Amino acid sequence: MTFGAKTSGSDDLKAILSAISTLVEEATFVATAEGITFRGMDPSHVALIDISWPNSAFEKYECDSDIKFGVRIDEFSKLIKRADKNDSIEISISEQNMLLVTVGKNKKYKIRLIESSATDTPLPKIPYNSKITLTSSKFDKILGDVQVVSDYLTIHTSDSKADFSGKGDSGEVIIDLENDTDDIDEISSKEDSTGTYSLEYLNPVVKAVGANAGLITCEFSSAKPLRIEFKVANIGRIHFYLAPRVES
Amino acid sequence: MLSSSQDIRRSILAKWHENLSKYGNLFSSDSISGSSPPSVFVGSYNYPKVFVGPMVPPVHGDTSLLDTPEKWIGKSLEEIVNFRLKLVRGIQKISVNSTEGRYIEDLQEVTMSSKPIDSDLEFRKSTSSISLDGESAPFGPVGEIKSAKFSNSSTTKHIEKTFYDKDLVANDAIVHLYNSGIDISQIQKCFSMGMLGKKRKLVPTKWSITATDDIISKSLTDKILDFSFIDSCQVFYFEHLGNLFSVILFPHRWIYEMIEAWYSSGILGFGSDHEDARGINHPPAIAGAYFAAKLSVVEFLSKNNIQSGVIILREIRPEYAIPVGVWQVREGIREAMKKKPIIADNFDHALSLASKKMSISKSEWVSHSNIGRLMRQKTISDFI
Repeated sequence: MTFGAKTSGSDDLKAILSAISTLVEEATFVATAEGITFRGMDPSHVALIDISWPNSAFEKYECDSDIKFGVRIDEFSKLIKRADKNDSIEISISEQNMLLVTVGKNKKYKIRLIESSATDTPLPKIPYNSKITLTSSKFDKILGDVQVVSDYLTIHTSDSKADFSGKGDSGEVIIDLENDTDDIDEISSKEDSTGTYSLEYLNPVVKAVGANAGLITCEFSSAKPLRIEFKVANIGRIHFYLAPRVES
Repeated sequence: MLSSSQDIRRSILAKWHENLSKYGNLFSSDSISGSSPPSVFVGSYNYPKVFVGPMVPPVHGDTSLLDTPEKWIGKSLEEIVNFRLKLVRGIQKISVNSTEGRYIEDLQEVTMSSKPIDSDLEFRKSTSSISLDGESAPFGPVGEIKSAKFSNSSTTKHIEKTFYDKDLVANDAIVHLYNSGIDISQIQKCFSMGMLGKKRKLVPTKWSITATDDIISKSLTDKILDFSFIDSCQVFYFEHLGNLFSVILFPHRWIYEMIEAWYSSGILGFGSDHEDARGINHPPAIAGAYFAAKLSVVEFLSKNNIQSGVIILREIRPEYAIPVGVWQVREGIREAMKKKPIIADNFDHALSLASKKMSISKSEWVSHSNIGRLMRQKTISDFI
């Protein structure tokens, strides 16, 4: 078995780890000839992250047979945080079942791997009727605006208009969005859609990945999961799925 | 019929004093000789310099029942209070970081013992008398120890091994002992006496009870998350010592809520806490009862290889005049889970059944519940 992957900088890995850390404490990655993937749900199965990091994103990538490796996210993140923005990061697996992590030119870490517990997690199968693409900073601001009165974000789309709203004990808020500002790339809907999602899950992941993502795309249908795609330069796919809240 | 909590306390105390007048010399003296069940106690007063010591009744022989709550189901409140009052508590003031030294090592030996241990305590002055205030769990007379002697003990092997394993973290040690079949009440004493984990210290008894329940129930919860959901709504019921428990299991990924209601001078008070599979991240308002009840219900789920949503209703009647400790919640729920459940048509029906034997209506319970809010959150699995 040969496995080795080297990045040209540390930002992508930092973004991936901080996204995963919002959901789980332990993560199992899968490496194949095509690249590295991760898929996992939080313990309450409310949110799911699906990441695909293609071999083309790496400066060097080698993997001659499929492997799974499990890490404690906090242990892995601690090392990666020691990397400067431009430091390369190289990972491989030792015969003693340790993860070897070379940060920059000369920092060589070894951390213990944990038993990988991952079972195959299927993705929700739903048609997405509505789509909003906007800058991550705009989205982050909207979440902040709603959070001052509510624990939940309601997204409503109608044709090429969208609004974000929230309601709580102290009051309520509605924020209208139109297609014509710089922050908004696209609003489209095949049919009017309304979905309500927990800010407890949305906020951390948008904060974690937001800085690295230029644009994000939110797709959803009424009372169905929300899928957020973070557009991060070299990472093939970071999809965040969040199950809705429904009326009783 | 006894009705008010105060009357019950007064009656128990009166009988106790009657006993004392017969055996008074055994208790109020400057020494005691007897078999510790085994039992040790670490106070929380004056933390981190706490009062630590053995508990010894003025009798020799098999006294193990006196401090093994796992065997107290079916006993009356008065019997249980008398178990507690019979135990004379010796104390010495010790820093929680001092887990070595002759006195503590002797107490650790006592804690590890598989049988009652003959003990001779001498006090600096005569032991203090007891009182029942209805707030804290009772115990017998207290005396500051001048000297303590214990006979040789036969140790419980699993505990001894864990005690000498200084690379095993406390959480793993507690779970290991539980899986080895050691009683929770004994594991809790080991934890309290600073006998488990890498960085050891003395832990006040009441904190160690909660911590032990929390750690074991967390490990069981992790396990049941992989099990398939229960296929119906089921209601379990048990009552003892003026505590009424209804447990509802319903098909759902692990969510758990416990709601307590009590009468205080005729006025109804409520408290509740809840969690989903991420656990609870703050100390629960209903304190140790939350973890004690959770432990017993996840123990049941884990043994039966099922997962479910859980709501527990606990009504505390005025007859529960003297709180005897959180073990009664743990053992009460364990008993409930041994009963044959009633199968409900749906969740709402289950709530009706669960409230039926209580003096508090379903709508009152529901108005203090968060389970509805938790259930409105769908899961990803609902869409796969």
